[in-house]
Amino acid sequence: MGGYVLKRILVTIPTLFGISVVIFFMVRLLPGDIVAVLSGADIGNDPELVAQARENLGLNGSYPEQYWRWISGVVQGDLGDSLRNTQPVSEVLLNALPITFELVFLGLLIAVVVGLPLGVLSAVKRDSRHDYAARVGGLIGVSIPNFWLATLLLLFTSRVFGWVPPLTYVPFYEDPIENLSQFILPAIAISVFTLAIVMRMVRATMLEVLGQDYVRTARAKGVRRKVVISRHALRNALIPVVTVVGFEVGILMGGSAIVEIIFGLPGVGNTLINAIFNRDYPVVQGATLLLAFIFIFANLLVDLLYGVLDPRISQE
Amino acid sequence: MSDNEAPDTPRKGELSRRDLLVKAGAVGVGAIAAGSVAGGAGAATRRSFATPKIRYGGRIIWALEQDPVHVAPYGAILTANHWGKQAAYDSLVEWDKDLNLKPALATSWTIAPDQKSITFNLRKGVKFHNGKELDGDDVKYSVEKMLNPPLPGSITTVSQVPGFLGVDVLSKYVVRLNLKTRDARVFGFLAWGRYSPIVPAGLYDQINVARNAIGTGPYRMVGFNPNDRVEYLANQSFWKKGQPYMDAMTLKTLPDEQARIAALRAGAIDGATVSSDGANALKSDGNLVVLKGGTAAFRELQFTIKGDPKPWHDVRVRQAVNFAINRQAIIDTVYNGNGNYSGIVPPGYGPWPLTQAELKTKHQKFDLTKAKALMAAAGQSKGFSVKLSTFSTPLDFQQVASVIKSQLKAINIDVEIVAQEPGTFAANNGTGNFEWDLTARGMRGDVDGYLGEYNPSNTIYQRWYPLYKNVKVWRAIGNGKITLDPAKRSPIYKQAQLLLQNDLPQLGLVQVNKYQVVNKRVQGMYVAFDDFNTGLRNSVWLSS
Repeated sequence: MGGYVLKRILVTIPTLFGISVVIFFMVRLLPGDIVAVLSGADIGNDPELVAQARENLGLNGSYPEQYWRWISGVVQGDLGDSLRNTQPVSEVLLNALPITFELVFLGLLIAVVVGLPLGVLSAVKRDSRHDYAARVGGLIGVSIPNFWLATLLLLFTSRVFGWVPPLTYVPFYEDPIENLSQFILPAIAISVFTLAIVMRMVRATMLEVLGQDYVRTARAKGVRRKVVISRHALRNALIPVVTVVGFEVGILMGGSAIVEIIFGLPGVGNTLINAIFNRDYPVVQGATLLLAFIFIFANLLVDLLYGVLDPRISQE
Repeated sequence: MSDNEAPDTPRKGELSRRDLLVKAGAVGVGAIAAGSVAGGAGAATRRSFATPKIRYGGRIIWALEQDPVHVAPYGAILTANHWGKQAAYDSLVEWDKDLNLKPALATSWTIAPDQKSITFNLRKGVKFHNGKELDGDDVKYSVEKMLNPPLPGSITTVSQVPGFLGVDVLSKYVVRLNLKTRDARVFGFLAWGRYSPIVPAGLYDQINVARNAIGTGPYRMVGFNPNDRVEYLANQSFWKKGQPYMDAMTLKTLPDEQARIAALRAGAIDGATVSSDGANALKSDGNLVVLKGGTAAFRELQFTIKGDPKPWHDVRVRQAVNFAINRQAIIDTVYNGNGNYSGIVPPGYGPWPLTQAELKTKHQKFDLTKAKALMAAAGQSKGFSVKLSTFSTPLDFQQVASVIKSQLKAINIDVEIVAQEPGTFAANNGTGNFEWDLTARGMRGDVDGYLGEYNPSNTIYQRWYPLYKNVKVWRAIGNGKITLDPAKRSPIYKQAQLLLQNDLPQLGLVQVNKYQVVNKRVQGMYVAFDDFNTGLRNSVWLSS
């Protein structure tokens, strides 16, 4: 197991290196750099001043030179400084990360806590009205964009209850109630898609597992239905769910950006979107590397979890 | 000017326009030039009303539609930067809400006979937020930073600064601002405040200016979190006695308009800027008040006149486009009937712009017959195709472009709309990499800011329309810039605008209203012409 983990970690390094090259050059394919974007025509764009501005920001030199300067800092733990406000990128991301982490955690928690039992119920009561309702709900869930749902939730609560989530971020350890009040609506907004996926995945795998011989044998031996479902069937049905959740961690870390913007949460996604619009290269590069690392790490955890859920996999 | 403006009755301690002109005349004509952005409409209306008693205290929470990114005093390009820092800083002079010049950190000034320097007398006893008293060294330091803004500021903003050479400190409270040449833009630049705050000497070595501020403004910045909020507390030592009115101010970044609307309805914020549709949706809410007013951000159609011959290089084609565009239809269709015609100087910018009557009845009158005749005269009866680039967001840009597209079909011009994300648009716009552009202009410290770009020495001219030539226009622009007497300056800029309205290297379209919605407890707020939230720092108080 230790060797397996080490091998996976070592593979991460060239993966991240490749991502750094791709994102470095991709973001520079966008028209204009930060000086061009901010200068425009309205501010006046004396060529000498523009050239000076580029030099001040370290945007002179060839792309390989700029890349070398940046990556040399990264391997030493220095992600550079924001071109827009000179704040260290590591500081920008450290401030933003807990917010996105909490949002994604709560979103996945809602998705699993609600989706799992719904999927089980739907499978166990196949072709019943509960099943049909869950399946229709699942279809709606995968169809609704999370940003649309976020806006709808805000409008609903403001109109009906005269309430919107608190606007100022308060860490959970400072005020749990205030913190959860701020996160509940955005978490619901991002959870719906994953909830629907989890529910449909659990239903599908449960149906498959419930038709297996060993489940029939357990039932024939007189094992109670609840025990058959929870101990025998569900555990095997969880494996693909773990896969989905693992993928969703990485997807939601970046994919919740619009929801963060709508709710005014200064998370990683919000920061990344603004950095792209403003051509803040160091922040884009740093945030993308971070998200890639989290994605890779989450999938490593998923693979390790397989071994726990299915001992046959760990033995292999 | 704005529909919600207060009457132009001089308040206690302030100068009336007449007194200002008389006193300014005594210290030199340059002071009169500084009053050149006076609000004609405001001065014409005088009515009395009962002024409610101001209630002190409370915290206001205002939503910003864009993050300030940083709050450094110099070199910031985004308007949002000034939204974030405005409450903390003052300049040597300031505008009132009608853009009349007022003393601020300088109480008086004298223009040298050769008009190449201005001596300012500083207000005594003004304290920065760190307790230091304002003196000449601070002004000298501040001007040096205006001319060479350190990071995170951009050096490109120096192009906005008039021809300052530097500052001589004559005594603790007297400074002399030296100029490269006579320059009528000085006072407008200073009053605008966007690039000209006065900070304590050595500020950049004392604090992280991107995240905090030390100024003399009515509110003291407590801190700034990017993508989150700016926090202010009242400056108890503010130099205007009796102000500020509130204890605290929070500026929360909420880019999504629906989120701002929801927060207004729920009372989570006290005010925000919204679109016209948003204002319509909120006007029936009994707890909210909709404010509206014109700003300097008018819409403009820009041409490039360079390179290989294009149909619109012929002035008759541009004139045809001008007469084929029905600006009232744009106002009615896109902006719910709220807006004004705009030349290249927006309406409400003091006495400078062409009047609405002139624009509607003559220079921008919708006349399809005339447009077709001009196209025929230019040999373009069959029309041509052109790409019109514009912003992908906000949506009204694409809506205006669509209206123009449908209107120009009548003269056989096939417009292809190219919507670009703001960063791409700005990059292309700055380099002149477009055929036609639909964009919004912004505030300027001085009227020269709207006309200076037609001068061949300007980079915009060189990149957009190097083939455009009109010596009379160039002469007018050059003379206007060095004529400090507004009485002499006004006809120069009128002539320049009439010439440009004929030549049309750019096409003014419409001035749109800006809408701000406030909770009914917010008193004294107004839609500022300069597109800042100036009322928050100057006049707002909370009734509960």
